[in-house]
Amino acid sequence: MIEQHPLQVELVERIDWLVRLRWIAVAGTLVGIMVASAMEPGLPVGPLLAITAAIAGYNVVFLLYARRLNLRRGTGIRRRQSPVFAQVQIALDLIALIALLHFAGGVENPLAIFLVFHVIIASILLTRTASFLVALFAASLYAAMVLGEYAGVLPHHHLPHLAGAGLYLQGVYVAANVFAMTVTLLLAGAMASSITTRLRERTQDLLQASQTCEIHSSGLTEANDKLRELDEARTRFIVTVTHELRAPVGTIISALDLVLGGYAAPEKQRKVLSRAQARAQELLDLIRDLLELSKARQIEGTQQAQPVQLAQVLENVVELMRVEAENKGLFFSVDVEMGISPVLADPDQMKAVWTNLISNAIKYTERGGVTVSLSQTADRVVGAVQDTGMGIAADDLPKLFEEFYRTGPAKAAVQRGTGMGLAIVKRIVESYGGQVWAESEVGKGSKFSFALPPTTARPDAAAPAAGEQDVNQPA
Amino acid sequence: MATKGKVLIVDDDPDLVEVMRTALESDGFEVISAADGTQGLNLMRQEKPDLVFLDVIMAHPTEGVDVSTTMKEDPELWDIPVVMLTSIVDTEYLGHFPTDRPLAVDQFLTKPLPLSDVLRIANEVTGQDT
Repeated sequence: MIEQHPLQVELVERIDWLVRLRWIAVAGTLVGIMVASAMEPGLPVGPLLAITAAIAGYNVVFLLYARRLNLRRGTGIRRRQSPVFAQVQIALDLIALIALLHFAGGVENPLAIFLVFHVIIASILLTRTASFLVALFAASLYAAMVLGEYAGVLPHHHLPHLAGAGLYLQGVYVAANVFAMTVTLLLAGAMASSITTRLRERTQDLLQASQTCEIHSSGLTEANDKLRELDEARTRFIVTVTHELRAPVGTIISALDLVLGGYAAPEKQRKVLSRAQARAQELLDLIRDLLELSKARQIEGTQQAQPVQLAQVLENVVELMRVEAENKGLFFSVDVEMGISPVLADPDQMKAVWTNLISNAIKYTERGGVTVSLSQTADRVVGAVQDTGMGIAADDLPKLFEEFYRTGPAKAAVQRGTGMGLAIVKRIVESYGGQVWAESEVGKGSKFSFALPPTTARPDAAAPAAGEQDVNQPA
Repeated sequence: MATKGKVLIVDDDPDLVEVMRTALESDGFEVISAADGTQGLNLMRQEKPDLVFLDVIMAHPTEGVDVSTTMKEDPELWDIPVVMLTSIVDTEYLGHFPTDRPLAVDQFLTKPLPLSDVLRIANEVTGQDT
């Protein structure tokens, strides 16, 4: 941004313009000297030509220097030197103009008014202070020349056709002339630089506005991309749901077709119909889970939340689950710390979290059992369900919480399952500002945990989580 | 009695495989089945079926498509007729298959396919008259 600052670019362009302008001034001066020398035979042509040659000479130097600076575009050097470069040029121009005036009549020469141009150029190129200093410098040089000639310190070159003799010695005229010139230069400088400053401010505002616009538009682009991603994810989800819903319906219809079409023997018919019934039940499970999931999606954060005692919710769930575990010959232990803080959540959803995790553990465990624990650390309430079941391969762990995802071994072990349980758990827990995670080792068991922020801090918060203590030995 | 022909069903839904198997066997076909694409290709090479019913979406959304493409590139398998089955009818959805190649299938049918159609196709393809 620094390199492309428009004010700096403008300054460099104006300096090139200054060099070009000076060639015109040199040509104009030469013509002026020729015309004046024809009218005023006494004109000191020699010194005037010498000064003009000097102007041309330093302009060549400036031209070369400006080219060198242009070659260094982008190095940053140009930027620092440009204002100084302009000041030097303007100062030399002022000195040259005063010298020309001095040899061409001094106070008698009306072309002294050209000093105003220099001050205006300075105001365009430089800062307000610098242009004031240039105006002051020009006025001082002029005053020094006029007063120097008046006082006899400098020789006076009289131009008889232009003014009466001795004008430069008339004190009141000289004083009024110097005063008028000084006021004109300072006012011209002040006016020009106030216009320039305002223009620069406008440019700066425009620049900032355009930068703000750019930032805005990049923000909008980002938001748009995010929306598009969300939309694509939603489409994929709908497509998956459609497939998951259609596939069992298709199978059920084919099964009914088989029976109604008389393709199967009576004993086979019964088997096929009972499978169809199971698939219909699965569909119902899936629809229930989809509703649960969409409910978890809709609830944003804590708006429907109330303080919930996870231990109490767990107690209700455990009664049902214990029977299921014992029917399978598994041990079922519950390890709940005392004085756990309530969490902000919906009690029904917390029940769904416990039910999903515990029923999964029982479903995929054939030997040993399930340990449920609830504990609190400094900044979270942690629930965990550990089993001694089949375990989950490391490759499958990251995908576990995706909708419809079931691992190959899980499908092989238990046919019935929607693949939605863990997705629902994740949705619910995250919607209340919590996290879910799983640890597992194939053949040894799995541990599913969730953490939610407590509503009250624990007094003995420094103590380590009790959830780490539960170790289970397979039966 | 000699069978009318050998039919391979590649589908990850065991219930559907069972239903189709029952219907086809009752009509005199020999039925073999595979639950995924790789197993399906292996069985094709071993058993040289006369017809393959291929499910599109198995573990991967394009598993069936991949199987049929492999078949059409393999001189051993490219003569075997393929009937592709999918539970997705929507052509818009087919756009979600990340594939730009033409599907190398003989018929593309939607589930649930009436068993009468399954038998008709099996009989037609194996040159039986019903």
